[in-house]
Amino acid sequence: MRKDAKEKTMKKIHKIELILLSLLILSGCNKKNDENALYEANDKTKLSITMVGKSSENPVFLAAWEGAELAAAKLNKKHRNLELSIDWRTPLTESAEAQAERIRNAVDDGTQAIIVSCSDDAFLTSAIDYAVGKNVPVMTFDSDAPNSKRFAYFGPDDEAIGERVIDELAARLDNKGKIAILGGNQGAPNLQRRVEGMRKALLKYPELVLIGEYYHDETAKAAAGKMLEVNAQNPDLAGWAMSGGWPFFGEELLDKLEPGKQVIVAVDALPQQLPYIEKGIVQVFLGQPTFQWGEKSVESVVNKLYLEKDVPESTQMNLIAVSKANLGGWSRQLRAWGFSNIPVKYLKM
Amino acid sequence: MSAAKQHQTAAQDKISFGQKFSYGLGSIVNNLLGGAIGYMSIVLNVGLGMNPALVGTLQAIPRLTDSLTDPIMGYISDNTRSRFGRRRPYIFAGAILVGITFALMWQLREGYSEMFYFWFFLIGSIIFYLFYTMFATPWVALGYEMTTDYHERTRLMGTMNFMGQFAWISLPWFYAFMENDRFFSNSVEGARGLAILIGIVVIVLGIMPALFTKEKFSASGETKSAIEGLGANVKAFFKGLVITLKRKDFLKLCAGTFFLFNSIQLVGAFSSYIIIFYVSGGDSDMGSKFMGLFGSINTVSTLLAIAAVTWISTKIGKRYTFMLATSATLIGSILKWFCYDPMAAWKVLLPAPFIAIGMGGLFTMMGSMIADVCDLDELETGERREGMFGAIYWWMVKLGMALAFGISGFLLNGTGFNVAFGGAQTSETFFWMRVVDVAIPAGASIIAILAVWSYKITEERSYEIRQELDIRRGKVTATPVNA
Repeated sequence: MRKDAKEKTMKKIHKIELILLSLLILSGCNKKNDENALYEANDKTKLSITMVGKSSENPVFLAAWEGAELAAAKLNKKHRNLELSIDWRTPLTESAEAQAERIRNAVDDGTQAIIVSCSDDAFLTSAIDYAVGKNVPVMTFDSDAPNSKRFAYFGPDDEAIGERVIDELAARLDNKGKIAILGGNQGAPNLQRRVEGMRKALLKYPELVLIGEYYHDETAKAAAGKMLEVNAQNPDLAGWAMSGGWPFFGEELLDKLEPGKQVIVAVDALPQQLPYIEKGIVQVFLGQPTFQWGEKSVESVVNKLYLEKDVPESTQMNLIAVSKANLGGWSRQLRAWGFSNIPVKYLKM
Repeated sequence: MSAAKQHQTAAQDKISFGQKFSYGLGSIVNNLLGGAIGYMSIVLNVGLGMNPALVGTLQAIPRLTDSLTDPIMGYISDNTRSRFGRRRPYIFAGAILVGITFALMWQLREGYSEMFYFWFFLIGSIIFYLFYTMFATPWVALGYEMTTDYHERTRLMGTMNFMGQFAWISLPWFYAFMENDRFFSNSVEGARGLAILIGIVVIVLGIMPALFTKEKFSASGETKSAIEGLGANVKAFFKGLVITLKRKDFLKLCAGTFFLFNSIQLVGAFSSYIIIFYVSGGDSDMGSKFMGLFGSINTVSTLLAIAAVTWISTKIGKRYTFMLATSATLIGSILKWFCYDPMAAWKVLLPAPFIAIGMGGLFTMMGSMIADVCDLDELETGERREGMFGAIYWWMVKLGMALAFGISGFLLNGTGFNVAFGGAQTSETFFWMRVVDVAIPAGASIIAILAVWSYKITEERSYEIRQELDIRRGKVTATPVNA
């Protein structure tokens, strides 16, 4: 009796299994037909995006490239009918002329979209407009060309960066003391906007006394020299607000500045600058997630061209304050963005 | 440490593979329903723009209604008399109703207000959980009574738990499925499609235990008319509830489960965040790969662990097996502290098998041990109340899960984590994230071991209870339902 019941049960189960299997096969067949229809209607869409950074010697643009490549790989995986590729055409050294030439060449070579960080917006506006005139949409990142026909910009709001530098400095100086601004190249529009932001923010802190704005060539040596010169002339200088991190690109100041004597807040937090945080010479670097320049720009181009979605004309990138507290985390983040020259001791923090 | 005497399962106490398989199909449905809303709710936020706090509220409120409906359903099922049994009619109807409700409650479209979505989904959720209770409570109780044998219970629970893992394997893929633009234009449409698919699976698999399993016991006591019996039933319900909550061995099992299972749930999010933001430095691709590998190793290890603990428990008893398996989770949790290494990301995979052993052992041993408690309860009260025990046990599990999801967000905030900083969190934040991720499951494992330490129903005692019950009944299958 028990065996009979068991056999009956098993037969019932086999029947159900057969029905389920049939359903599965049927659903599989239907799906295949649908998929074929989709495939025929939308054959692989090839999308080549030309990427033009300022300089391929500059690690921030290599990180941006890494971001673009990874975003492309992710999007190719997500959208199976899309064949996205990155065409890297960044000049070796910074040159607006070289960038303009490469944009024109890319258009003539049949690129479908361009993302560019403008070394000189006035110079590049005509090249961008040339591309757009040939139906090649252009997006800017890091450094904008606001008067061009580019469809979107992703990068920092330079004025907001300047304000943030002063806010961070004021918080560490209890809102009082003598400070100086190190401004880099006085002719660079983005740096001008940062200094403008600093001036604006200083209005909030009447007891912060600005002794002067100092400009210099954008090399580590020139910046360090200028800084030491101002320090020598102003022994009671309490802090520095820097619109870039130039003095700390080299090791010269590691032995020449006394840790903790001044409060220093500077923009950028690249691997070679990190020892200044470790030694306590610099209190805060405002790091730019440069990886996102490439990542977000590629996503925006795909959203506009492939998915036909609306893309905001301007998207502000948020900066990350790097101090001793998150030196380890920031170092690992830099490594994840493709930077390779990071001391192991920071990665282990 | 082994039991004084090992008993062999008598032929009449063995459950055929077909019955075990049919019962196990219910486990896939139970786990699928239990986890699906949690995994699909992201659509409410990302796809429909609902405030995450409202989404959290939507998940919490049904837990309150469950606290009422679960034990009531347990009581109703325990006291039902019908020619089809006291469990199977509810399992059959519950599977169909919950499948349909689940499919319907996700048929949301864009363009409505946030409060419209909130109320639509809240009402849908309450109805869904009501039918889910209608299915799950009798199904759980059925498992406790399919055999009276100490070891065969563990084998049944092992099969059930093994099959139920396939639901957990599928759940993490839900979001990718809903987001896949080959099938759907957006995640909201994806949720609509996926819900229908899940509804069909739930109905087809959910009715199997009702169709192909046998009930061993029927309700005891006199039959009363609905009106005449209302007062008596309410009184009996609360009396049964109190008796259940006073049974110390049962409470020890509840405590063991509550701490072990929910601690793992609680820190699940932490592990993901630590792997992505600490070990992988904010590289979500790399972190996702390791999380995927971690999940795969965990799944395979869980399946192996279920088979292993099922076998081991026949050698050393259920209590020792549970403590042994939970000790593995304790070791795995502590191991995590040393294996979160940004210089060697692969190490994050090492604790996975250890943690899986405890999880694999948990629901295999607990189901089997609660069935033993039901026997002891019958011996002392004269009533079989698997429904009530199962309802309270699973309500406690569900409540714990809801609490775990709710608390984990606050804990993460408490560590100072800010997603905007990516991998550049402070060292202090990472330290506390790791402390929480390691200390909570490790501490909970110790509490679970201590809770079950003094559990008294040994193999020997279980067979004594069984003999006494057999003598009292005259014959174990004296009141077969569908023979």
